[in-house]
Amino acid sequence: MYGSVSTHDIPAQATTGLENEDPQQLAEFEARIARGEKIEPDDYMPALYRKQLIRMIEQHAHSEIIGSLPEGTWITRAPGFRRKMAQMAKVQDEVGHAQLLYSAAETLGKSREDMLTDLINGKSKYSNVFNYPTPTWADSNAISWLIDAGAIVNQMANARGSYGPYCRALERICAEESFHLKYGHDAVVHMATGTPIQRRMMQEALNRWWPPIMTFFGPADKASQHTEILMRWKVKMASNDDCRQQFLDMYVPKILEIGLTIPDPNLRKNEETGKWEYTEPDWEELRRVINGDGPCNQERLAVRRAAEENGAWVRRALQAKRQAPKAVRPLA
Amino acid sequence: MLSSLDPRIARLALPDTAPAPTPKAAFDQFETFEVFHQKKDGAAYTYVGPVHAPSADVAFLFAKEQYSRRFACTGMWVVPTSAINLTPYVGDQESVYDGVSAIVPTADAPAEPQEYAIFHLKKRGKAHTNVGLVRAASAADALYQAKLTFGEQRPVVNVWVLPWNEVLTLDPADRDIWLTTPEKKYRDAIAYKVQDRIERFKLETGTK
Ligand SMILES: [Fe+2]
Ligand SMILES: [Fe+2]
Ligand SMILES: [Fe+2]
Repeated sequence: MYGSVSTHDIPAQATTGLENEDPQQLAEFEARIARGEKIEPDDYMPALYRKQLIRMIEQHAHSEIIGSLPEGTWITRAPGFRRKMAQMAKVQDEVGHAQLLYSAAETLGKSREDMLTDLINGKSKYSNVFNYPTPTWADSNAISWLIDAGAIVNQMANARGSYGPYCRALERICAEESFHLKYGHDAVVHMATGTPIQRRMMQEALNRWWPPIMTFFGPADKASQHTEILMRWKVKMASNDDCRQQFLDMYVPKILEIGLTIPDPNLRKNEETGKWEYTEPDWEELRRVINGDGPCNQERLAVRRAAEENGAWVRRALQAKRQAPKAVRPLA
Repeated sequence: MLSSLDPRIARLALPDTAPAPTPKAAFDQFETFEVFHQKKDGAAYTYVGPVHAPSADVAFLFAKEQYSRRFACTGMWVVPTSAINLTPYVGDQESVYDGVSAIVPTADAPAEPQEYAIFHLKKRGKAHTNVGLVRAASAADALYQAKLTFGEQRPVVNVWVLPWNEVLTLDPADRDIWLTTPEKKYRDAIAYKVQDRIERFKLETGTK
């Protein structure tokens, strides 16, 4: 989900999935990670590491490309020329992030063709929040600020992970996200401190987006052998709950200071534990929507598919003029 | 018909459901090119990432958009991934060159020497950086020549050897493609200064 490994994706297994690995190579691999060195594409890596990273980076890429749709919707209707330009720049960034991430995943051996196919046929997932609509400009602002804020919490954590190509992509991505965060904050502040109608629009958008935001980082991780291995291999860098707590720490005060209210009567910071308490998110809804039954699932994939089909003739025309391409994947 | 809040999508009149798409054929997304970027005059070219493209020219256009739409850029090199020769990776404290020795001459007539651009990776997870050019009869020989010329540098975790005739560079006269980048302030975080407005709001509402 936008770059966080959900250990729930892994089928419960009695084994660790490591019994086919060469013990000597595995030990060297683990020692390298323990020393703080990154893994590069041609290094030995356990099949489980490769599989998890492909799944995670691919999901992250899909989230960028599908995530650009609810905001892209508002480019033509953004209020004023300057905001149109900025909204367009942000959407362009997100699509660029998808390209960087697809390439990082390709270094692990899954082709961009196969990833795009799996996105459109529903086999691969993307962050569930993008299955909700943006009925108003304020909803788009809520995404620009708060969904990106959540994504940044994840991405900053993952940037400290062990896989070189993913780290390089994330470094570039995080630099651009700082623009998204400022742009989104600016847009929300503008609405929240504006006329009574603007304020009400912003509050209503926040009310709509708060429940999806609370599910953004996924349910609490189950303690399992897999989680422990993925943390040791620096694939999973922070628990879902820790990410959620960090997000609340950073953004609840910023939401409240501009006069907005958060639609959860149970949200409060427990001064003794230092942890946020909140109404348990509706995980049943999350499961239902991930599996296709959300307000925008169909539209998101239909639009993606239409883009693929409408662009096919351009790709065919470009293919026709070339010599046979050599089989390659990006180097790093 | 699919209904959407977005008038542009509504106009597409997309069907509610569609049959499963046929899997994409190999190379539907073209081949890859690796892109190197120069931050300012005289600085070494540094690896920024790959692009997918049907030709080097198109790769250059994509690369310009993907890797240089923010911040200063004075040059860009684009090379097909398949043209790059790379060594194995060694540990962060080691040098690849320790395992490189002179090429044993063969009976064949020696090939015409050509130029190769040499890139070093100093630390895993970082980016390859150009250290210079060598002249050599083959990519393998170029690696040995690189050892003679740049082998003192340490650590060298990985080396890329690029045949110079495969590299698409920019004519210096065309550098003005980057001239307008600084005007696009709306792309940058520092263009958004919102704190004043928040403080004013707090004063007006008496929350400060
Ligand atoms: Fe992004
Ligand atoms: Fe985003
Ligand atoms: Fe973003």
